[in-house]
Amino acid sequence: MKKVDYKVTDPKGMHARPAGIISSTAKQFASVIRVACGSEEADMKKLLPLMGLTVRQNDVLHITIEGADEAEAAAAVEASLKECF
Amino acid sequence: MALDYRKCAQEIVDHIGGRENVAQAAHCATRLRLVIKDNSKVDKDYLDNIDGVKGMFESNGQLQLIIGTGTVNKVYDEFLDITGMTAATKDDVKAAAAAKQPLWKRLLKPIGDVFVPILPAIVASGLMMGLVEALGKAIPTFASTDWYAFMDMVANTAFAYLPVIVAISAARVFGGNIFLGAVIGLLMIHSALTNGWSAADGYNVWYLFGHLKITDNYTLLQINQLGYQGHVIPVMLAVLFMSKLEGWLHKHVPEMIDLFVTPLTTVFVTAIVTFTIIGPIFSSLETMVLAGAQVLVTNPIGSCIMGAIYPVTVVMGLHHMYNVIEAGMLAAGGLNTWMPIASAANFAQFGACLAVALKARNQKTKAVALPSSLSAALGITEPAIFGVNLRFYKPFVAGMIGGAVGALVAAFLGIGASAYGVTGIPGYLTIEQPVQYTIVLAISAGIAFIVTNAIWKEEEKAAKKAAAPDVEKAPENTVFSAAGVEVKAPVAGTVVGRDQIPDDTFASGVLGDGVGINPTAETVFAPFDGTISTVAESKHAVGITGPADMELLIHVGVDTVAMNGEGFEVFVAEGDSVKAGQPLLHFSKAAIAKANHPDIVVTLLTNAEDFDDFAIK
Repeated sequence: MKKVDYKVTDPKGMHARPAGIISSTAKQFASVIRVACGSEEADMKKLLPLMGLTVRQNDVLHITIEGADEAEAAAAVEASLKECF
Repeated sequence: MALDYRKCAQEIVDHIGGRENVAQAAHCATRLRLVIKDNSKVDKDYLDNIDGVKGMFESNGQLQLIIGTGTVNKVYDEFLDITGMTAATKDDVKAAAAAKQPLWKRLLKPIGDVFVPILPAIVASGLMMGLVEALGKAIPTFASTDWYAFMDMVANTAFAYLPVIVAISAARVFGGNIFLGAVIGLLMIHSALTNGWSAADGYNVWYLFGHLKITDNYTLLQINQLGYQGHVIPVMLAVLFMSKLEGWLHKHVPEMIDLFVTPLTTVFVTAIVTFTIIGPIFSSLETMVLAGAQVLVTNPIGSCIMGAIYPVTVVMGLHHMYNVIEAGMLAAGGLNTWMPIASAANFAQFGACLAVALKARNQKTKAVALPSSLSAALGITEPAIFGVNLRFYKPFVAGMIGGAVGALVAAFLGIGASAYGVTGIPGYLTIEQPVQYTIVLAISAGIAFIVTNAIWKEEEKAAKKAAAPDVEKAPENTVFSAAGVEVKAPVAGTVVGRDQIPDDTFASGVLGDGVGINPTAETVFAPFDGTISTVAESKHAVGITGPADMELLIHVGVDTVAMNGEGFEVFVAEGDSVKAGQPLLHFSKAAIAKANHPDIVVTLLTNAEDFDDFAIK
């Protein structure tokens, strides 16, 4: 199991664009990828629940990745987050 | 074919009129976005042909250069380096400030975030503790059985070791290592320390930093050998400190020695700070509250005040010393007149929490509030306070009011108990005047309930207006179909292909497949029966789950998230069931135009790949 923690820097928080990009990054991998923010949680591969998380600037996302390709998934997810967010 | 990022950035700077002509520079996932002061200085033809720039367009004041995912950020970094601009712009800062909530609300949020996940443990413990104690007092013989001893142990575990549970949850919320958080929590209730619940019996002190006496009771940086059993706030503060320290060390300690240095330093420094600073602050507060409480309880107005601030002392964990007052009263031969005040305060929190449970429409809130209120009725108020009332703050205040009035009545009726240790419903077993006690409980809970009902509304995610404009009707034209279902257009207007949406991310299909609609009207309707899965905070986008689990995203405009809700009204909330044709959202074309955004309504099926028969009409 891999963990990635990420502090959101985008003043707009979670909106369609970053959500779409990180979701499609997550979809490329077989691992189960879950995102938690505060007390809410969602499957990163599902766009709508992901957008449903209340994520604002300076919130910390706690991501868990479990599966055969978790190492690559973790690296890709982290890179994707840094770019969009 | 690696791009020379520096060269690309340099060429861009050279052909947009240089640094002086750039007001703002930012980037998104694929594009460099520049706000240009004087557009005439921009050499558009040259820019279009720069190696690395895949396309370029302007949208009123913003020059956008499409560079591509993964590369744009590198070009941006070079761009900043060349121009000497800083990444944060004044507008970004302003926007961030606008999105901030009042300070005290932001302080309350982490408390909720820490407590909500651990509620199952606390509610279970609270309910069981209340029941076991009630049984023990109701059936005296039961209290000496093995069953009682066993159940008592199981019941109070979560509370006996609450600091550990809180520490772990707090570490997760504040971004610290959860196992180090566990260590801090365990440290604060270490068996080498006198149990916090027995503070009144006295404890030893360690003098690590010499014997410089500051006051009669306090030597500089002394460490009381007293555990933090039952404390919440000091534990959260300790773990917050730990998490920040750990983060700082991770950043500054060379990776080679990080595993050796960081955890050890984090734990040790946090331990010292916790026991020398955080600890004494809270012990002093406790002593002050105890002294104050003793003074206050002697008259009805004082009781009233005490009834009001009682739950505040519970929040801060300062309520441990009260048994000293109670024991003192009983030892002096009188009744324990403190107990009714505590009961009034606790039962009021029950009333407030119950009101939340009944008034809330959100199923999750109800599922938490109902058992928490029951636990409070049995005298264990932590779930109700931390999990519900304090989070929504108005119910907490209602509880304080109810408690104050109840305590006042109790003082006038002169009721008291013959023992201490239970409040609320189990209190019937120790109270001398059950009828008057009932009146006090009823008044406390009743007032708290009524006030909560009156002043608390489910906020933020609730629908703002139910008004549906009947001038506009839901469109009848189908935009695409999947799983045999015809998905109608959510808004009236001309339908265009997905690749014609003026935004890279939407056009690329990364968010799903579908269409864009250039709207001729301003109301978005549900295209099918379904459930609202998301409503954007800035009210410009809605996600609906429909038949066959299709997940539809309706996103009004491009970049309209930046408008922060201005010009948008939403009629539904997450979790709502909607029918085809039901109005969901209203937007103002004028407001969007004024903010310089395209108003195209992006309609995408985000899980289109799950449907074999997905087809765009």
